[in-house]
Amino acid sequence: MADTIYLAVAYLGMLTGLAIWTWTVLSRSKNLEARLDAIEASLNNSEE
Amino acid sequence: MGNSCRQIGIVLPLGGIMRDLGTLLIMSGFAGAGLTLWLGLAWAPSVSIDAFEAPISQKIFYWHVPSAWAAMIAFTLLFIGSLAWFIKRKEWGWNLHVASSEASLAFGLMAVWSGCIWGAAEWGVPWDWTDIRLNTFALLTLLAIFLVLGRKSQPDGIETRDTFATFGIYGFVLVPITYLATRFWQIRHPGPVVATSEGSLNSDMGMVLALGAISFTMLVIGHTICGIRLTKMESRLIEIQDIMDKEGI
Repeated sequence: MADTIYLAVAYLGMLTGLAIWTWTVLSRSKNLEARLDAIEASLNNSEE
Repeated sequence: MGNSCRQIGIVLPLGGIMRDLGTLLIMSGFAGAGLTLWLGLAWAPSVSIDAFEAPISQKIFYWHVPSAWAAMIAFTLLFIGSLAWFIKRKEWGWNLHVASSEASLAFGLMAVWSGCIWGAAEWGVPWDWTDIRLNTFALLTLLAIFLVLGRKSQPDGIETRDTFATFGIYGFVLVPITYLATRFWQIRHPGPVVATSEGSLNSDMGMVLALGAISFTMLVIGHTICGIRLTKMESRLIEIQDIMDKEGI
């Protein structure tokens, strides 16, 4: 039983780490994209 | 104003292809890693009860080995990126350095974490300070921590980039040492199990391990592509802000 617990803890730790990291990268990317789009839109508006 | 917009217009297109490819590779990698996990637990044969203290925990091998493999790919990309920046001053080299240092850290930590848990189950201790493989791999992961945290605490500039690129180049020395460590100094970490002179892994186990390695390769490449794009966007945002500041927009 202890053997299974070790396995579960190891897999859960890796899964959680991988999921958090992926989420961080994708959300940072989305956030930056939105900021760049907003800057571009505001510059286009001020040009008009 | 028109001039600034033209300058900004040049730098804004960011390559949706990179984003799509990166995301596709990450998602495919996740699917493959999930399948590896399921096959490893439900389908691959168990190891001999006599050969291992904790035969069930051995199944962490299907993710531990691919994550270490992915970390080695990331460290190699880090070396290439660092060299390209340091010698040729290539911007893509720096972007690759940044993206691959983050990937090295993530996969390095995964390998260390799973190794410690398996060590605790199999050896009774999570770490062995006399084992060369364990300690050189830990040093590589510490190097990745230093590169990621150090870069975030420093203003971007040529001197900062050169300093971190130098660590990326010299740190790579540890990669072949880590890879060969169990061949020359097998202390506690198991030696190679695929295509050795003493035979190879059971074919079903080998297939699951290969699936894991392919999936984690997709994950590390997908993450590196997304990381490169992220670094480019960060640089461009700073560039646009500088232009706007200069022109008083």
